Amino acid sequence: MTRTVERGGTVRSLGQALSLFKMGAPMHPIFVHFTIALTASSLAFDALGFFLGVASLTATGGWTLVSAAVMTLMTISTGLTSSTRAPVEEGEARSFLRAHMALGLVFYGVLLAITLWRLSLWQQGLGVSWLYLAAMAVVSLVMTVQGYLGGELVYRYGVEVEQAHRELPEREANSTPPLLTSSSPGGTVTREKDERTA
Amino acid sequence: MTGIPFIGLYPFQWIALIAAALTLLLLADALAGHYRSGFAFRSQYAPFISGGVLIIAAGAAAIAPDTSWTTRALRVAGWLTVVTGVVGFGFHHYYGIAKKPGGYKWLLHYLMYGAPQLAPLALAAAGALALIAAQGLSGETSFAGMSLRVALLGFLSVALVGAILQAGILHYRGAFNNPAMYAPLVAPLLAVFGSAWIAFAPSRPAWHALAVLLWMTFLTGFVGLGMHLRGMGRQMGGLYVFLFNWLEGPPAFAPGLFAGFAAVGLVTVHLL
Repeated sequence: MTRTVERGGTVRSLGQALSLFKMGAPMHPIFVHFTIALTASSLAFDALGFFLGVASLTATGGWTLVSAAVMTLMTISTGLTSSTRAPVEEGEARSFLRAHMALGLVFYGVLLAITLWRLSLWQQGLGVSWLYLAAMAVVSLVMTVQGYLGGELVYRYGVEVEQAHRELPEREANSTPPLLTSSSPGGTVTREKDERTA
Repeated sequence: MTGIPFIGLYPFQWIALIAAALTLLLLADALAGHYRSGFAFRSQYAPFISGGVLIIAAGAAAIAPDTSWTTRALRVAGWLTVVTGVVGFGFHHYYGIAKKPGGYKWLLHYLMYGAPQLAPLALAAAGALALIAAQGLSGETSFAGMSLRVALLGFLSVALVGAILQAGILHYRGAFNNPAMYAPLVAPLLAVFGSAWIAFAPSRPAWHALAVLLWMTFLTGFVGLGMHLRGMGRQMGGLYVFLFNWLEGPPAFAPGLFAGFAAVGLVTVHLL
């Protein structure tokens, strides 16, 4: 796939800036951090509240969990959108993608179940228990595996990274590379062609 | 209103919302199936009309349960959906089996590859659930001569049996190629026995056992949603060829029905 190349040039006006606004960045990697941070925080706050006996920490754990359940809806919907845009051939990467998709909904199921449990505890005026913390640890474990699968998709296989972003002008193969001024005795230094095409 | 409220909503408000959610899931799969067949008959639009009305009426009844017209509207929408579902079942049966080459001699084939026979009855079940919700929201304590709790347990048993049968035949078509395809035949089936048992002989341990089975059924629904999504991803091109694989892959939202039916049971167990 040929990547689009930026035309270059400095953005000098608001109109020019607005014309460049297109929300082209993938949304899923943004939302997924909310899910991870809120769920992990919930476990941490609940554990601290439980062991230190501080009610405000436990309350924070509850609110972060509810927020995680809400935000994860966005994470799932953007993830589905992302997977429809991933031209991944059959092979390892698609196996990772399939496992990631399947586990994503399983994770949401357990997250929703534990959120309902948490809300019922809150309604009855009860605090968290050992059993609840253990269940929350299992939910976090599922989330960790899910996060690992997603991380591999991006960092090993470049899903939504390769082909998704424009190349900078100096990386265009046929263009003259920009001259770099150097203080070295050799004067002007240009980049090697191999480096440009790598 | 009867029952214990949960985060500000009473049990029958929850039931109305679950009826709306179930209908939404059913309509999404019906859209795929009817679009795949090209909406050859005008009657194929019927579930979207009655189902759409039910979703709006159920939402209104959950938001404003004390207003009499919302409950009345929910009752009308419920009946409309029940009728649509039953008529749809007739259509699926006639055009999906009886009128096909070979007809009943090829029954197993058409059960697997024809129009899903029990899908319209699931819509009728959503309508029946709306009727029970309307009864509860209007302060009545019985439905068709049964207490509302027994009616909901009966609904749960029948609805889960239908979902298990439909999943069973379609997973059989898929040759149970993945062990997870047996999941709808485990916890949901036990939940059917549990709810039927409690309807006749309620006891404290049985309620606890049913609650556990219903939570497992709830999770089974989400496992199924994930696995069906994975199934779509296994088709040629995966989700990159979304429309084709949505139409040709496993029904995307069908497993959600297990979660929805389990949610009805959980409301009954914990809040009523």
